[in-house]
Amino acid sequence: MNNYELTLILNPDLSSKFDDFESKFSKVLADIGFETKRLENIGRRQLAYSILNHNKGHYVIYQLEGPAAGAVELETKLKYDTAVIRSLLLKVDTLSLEDSLLMIESREAKKAPEEIKVTPPKGKVAEEPKPKEDVAEDTNTTETE
Amino acid sequence: MSQDAKKNFNYKNIDLLKRYITETGKIIPARVSNVSAAEQRKLTKSIKIARFLALLPYTDSHR
Repeated sequence: MNNYELTLILNPDLSSKFDDFESKFSKVLADIGFETKRLENIGRRQLAYSILNHNKGHYVIYQLEGPAAGAVELETKLKYDTAVIRSLLLKVDTLSLEDSLLMIESREAKKAPEEIKVTPPKGKVAEEPKPKEDVAEDTNTTETE
Repeated sequence: MSQDAKKNFNYKNIDLLKRYITETGKIIPARVSNVSAAEQRKLTKSIKIARFLALLPYTDSHR
């Protein structure tokens, strides 16, 4: 038995149907003798370059344990799965069972928009009076001269 | 860069990897960034994995 880390980029249009994909895919994994130790559903993410005319992708990371023969089979199955835009199966020494940095990042990104919405009005209020004062001072100096 | 010596170069650690690529997306050579040979090997590998997974660009001129 080996440890594997499987990263999938799924079609972003199917990202709402992820549960369907997940239940199907878990059967595939079970058929070839793979055991899912951890599943990280990272969600939609901007791609650094377009893949098959997609600019966004739904990232998922699986931590798996299974036989080497199954790994070859899994790769061929992923190759012909139209929902998967790109996949990478890595053999790893130890499975990482903590939150990956991508997961943490996506979680923070979800929180961030709310914070940004709150802050701009305060910033504008603080900034606006200053230019007016500057203008007023300038006009005063020109008048005295 | 000595404080990065213990940092884990992993394809999921994009913010760290971004510091070791140029604006055009090239990997910065070890002689410039003062990364040890062993670390540079890990770094290069993880950058290339991150590129494959579209987490980092290969170049700045992706259409």
